[in-house]
Amino acid sequence: MRIALALAVLALTVTTADAQRRPAPDTGPRNPFADNQAAIDEGRSLYNSTCTSCHGANGAAGEFGPGLAIPGRSYARTTDSQIFDAIQHGITGTPMPAQQGKLSDDQIWKITAYVKGLRGTAIDAPSPGDVAAGEAVFWDKGDCGSCHMVKGRGSIIGPDLSNLGNLRKTNSIIDALTKEQHRVYGPGGAQPHLLTPLPTWPVVSVTVPGRPPVRGVLRNEDSFSLQVMGLDQQLHLFDRSKVKVVYEQKSLMPSDYDKKLSKDEFDNLVAYLTRLGVPPQPSGAVHMPGGPERD
Amino acid sequence: MRLRHALVSGLLLASAPAGLQSWAQVRAQTPDPAKPDPKDWLTYSGQYHAQRHSQLKQITAANVGRLQAKWVYHMTGQKDLEAVPIVANGVMYVSQYNRIDALDARTGNVIWQFQRQPIATGAQRGTGYWNNKLYVTTSDKHLLALDARNGSVLWDVEVHDGLQLAGQAPLIAKGKLIVSGNQPHGFIQAYDADTGKYLWSWTPVPGADDPTALASWGGQKPDGMPIWVSGSYDPDLNLIYYGTGQPEPQWAGEGRKGDNLYSDCIVALDVDTGKLKWAYQNTPHDTHDYDSLEMPVLVNGMWKGKPRKMVLQANRNGFYYILDRTNGEFLQATQFVKKVDWLKGWDGGKPIPDPAHDPSVKGTTTCPSTAGATNWPSPTYDPQLHMFYFVAQEGCGINLRDTARNYAGTGYLESPEEGKSWQLFTRALDAFTGKKVWDYEQVTSHHYGPGLMSTAGGVLFSPEEFGQFTALDSKTGKVLWHFNTGDVITASPVSYSVEGKQYVAVISSSNVFAFGLPDGGAK
Repeated sequence: MRIALALAVLALTVTTADAQRRPAPDTGPRNPFADNQAAIDEGRSLYNSTCTSCHGANGAAGEFGPGLAIPGRSYARTTDSQIFDAIQHGITGTPMPAQQGKLSDDQIWKITAYVKGLRGTAIDAPSPGDVAAGEAVFWDKGDCGSCHMVKGRGSIIGPDLSNLGNLRKTNSIIDALTKEQHRVYGPGGAQPHLLTPLPTWPVVSVTVPGRPPVRGVLRNEDSFSLQVMGLDQQLHLFDRSKVKVVYEQKSLMPSDYDKKLSKDEFDNLVAYLTRLGVPPQPSGAVHMPGGPERD
Repeated sequence: MRLRHALVSGLLLASAPAGLQSWAQVRAQTPDPAKPDPKDWLTYSGQYHAQRHSQLKQITAANVGRLQAKWVYHMTGQKDLEAVPIVANGVMYVSQYNRIDALDARTGNVIWQFQRQPIATGAQRGTGYWNNKLYVTTSDKHLLALDARNGSVLWDVEVHDGLQLAGQAPLIAKGKLIVSGNQPHGFIQAYDADTGKYLWSWTPVPGADDPTALASWGGQKPDGMPIWVSGSYDPDLNLIYYGTGQPEPQWAGEGRKGDNLYSDCIVALDVDTGKLKWAYQNTPHDTHDYDSLEMPVLVNGMWKGKPRKMVLQANRNGFYYILDRTNGEFLQATQFVKKVDWLKGWDGGKPIPDPAHDPSVKGTTTCPSTAGATNWPSPTYDPQLHMFYFVAQEGCGINLRDTARNYAGTGYLESPEEGKSWQLFTRALDAFTGKKVWDYEQVTSHHYGPGLMSTAGGVLFSPEEFGQFTALDSKTGKVLWHFNTGDVITASPVSYSVEGKQYVAVISSSNVFAFGLPDGGAK
């Protein structure tokens, strides 16, 4: 809980992030391909062949252009018509070129739909591939379930991934599978220092004198106590003054899935992961009638 | 239900017969911040010199281990309160914009509650007590005085010039109510604390009568410099001391070439006239939001073998400053965090900022981060040990600009690089040399943190960001006691005494906690 709170505090320091969450009223024309999965997939290939020489893949920052889907970053152009306009006419005073004449309006709208999807989370523009095959990779060859849980199945050492696609961007999921420091450097790209940190699942080894060390993931700590989920899947509660704590620098999460899986297996796994989501729940408070009331 | 009853009692008290009133007068000799009694906590920083050191010593390093919670009071409808409670004659006053709750400081029972509509939330940092009055900053640009005994409104004035006051606790000095704000730019105003009559204003924005300061903006109209923390006061020198905030545009310095006076300064103003006596600029030409809004602490002592009237400040920019407060003379600045790289060096007492660390579209790593090497949470000075305690934030940040154009907006992030992440420490310095004496790591705390309070009992109270209220040995930094309040603490603790019993209180999110030794005699 405190780790979550810490992140909430951090998010507040990104002074522009709030503005980003407020959707600007879109007075321009509607994107004819909004929420059209086939068109978004087409937008992805157009983006990958047209835009990634400057911008990074999957919304990360590239060699010359800023990231288009970076957590915590605010955007000058947020609406469909603003993004369309930037692609069609370029952006004066920057190296961003106009695509008018090179791409059709339909193609630009498709790229727009894809970029908009990237600014949501993975589930808004899920990665293409064989989802069922990806699920099999998750449980079998990938052995992801030895740490993670999805919809009640699996283990409790790492984060529950049941809602992963609603919480993370695609590039963040790919980084988690391929980069050792993904939790620190976020979605990756040529300008990693632009990125906000993600929640960490720090690994600790705690020794009570006279007993073998307990290794596991730190769920919480303060100046006086530690709460550790052990690799034995048991919760261990420690008094800091009575133990020796070693903080390990390396995450338990393997980062070589792009090497130990074939390209198809990897793509299918990402297709599965980017679709993991639970139905949205209503926000706000609710009063439940039926019990004895005070007045 | 409880409150309704209390309000009825309050009404009865207000219309009490003469006999009862005289009883009340016997009981309540009006506390005066000019003649402080350690049993009260009458101003934001406890006393005018802002040392935040309680002279109470019933709670000591030897017995603080037995400290226990005495009561908790919930401020309905609130969260993340930053207020310092004010205590006068056994009554505690907890404030928010538009609101004060008066509590029996022994029990936490509410005595009266003042709520001007609407219910407001925000970083309001306390009220002030003077001559049986309390002061309320409203969300609709008014300033009110309440009768401290029953919460009745004594006067209600519109803020001069129609400005909105910031959430800093008012300072009541020499019968003047001193308040400040941020918009349209930083300002300080004084009112007659008895009547609400407007007296004077001062702004860090230089006018035509100050051509040197005006010329320090490279032709741009001076802007920004918010003032959102209370100040300190030296009655002998007739001066009040305040910090000023960063210049605008905050992150883009190219349009305002020069030092940008009086941004990021410690200023001394004549309390009678509001005229600037002197200013010392901690961060010339700031592009990292290094507000100088950390409390200027007034201390008399020996500096390099000579008696000095000093002002001490641990600044957001990573340096601990000692100035002569009579004239603003720079005596020394000591780096107090591991990494400081926003400056190239010093020209005498003036730092030279390094343009290589200006914020950029790509992102520029700078130490300390914009969150600051320390920030508004109050420091404390122990006059017995000559130690200065404050919350230090180690680590660096990244400053990003949206565009390369002047007036570009941006945000800042924690540096993701190894060894540059944020970590809070309770840090003790030798006040007159700036040398570090000890450090206490606040595990998991990494941003701003609450303020501190030292006591004559040799105990330093050091709340932690995520709710631990910790007592440290003032001499060594060793943990003596702690209590998990269960929510975020961003306020500073206070101490007071009622009927011979010492209490320590702190606000944790929406709850006021008061602690004391077990009843049945403190041994």
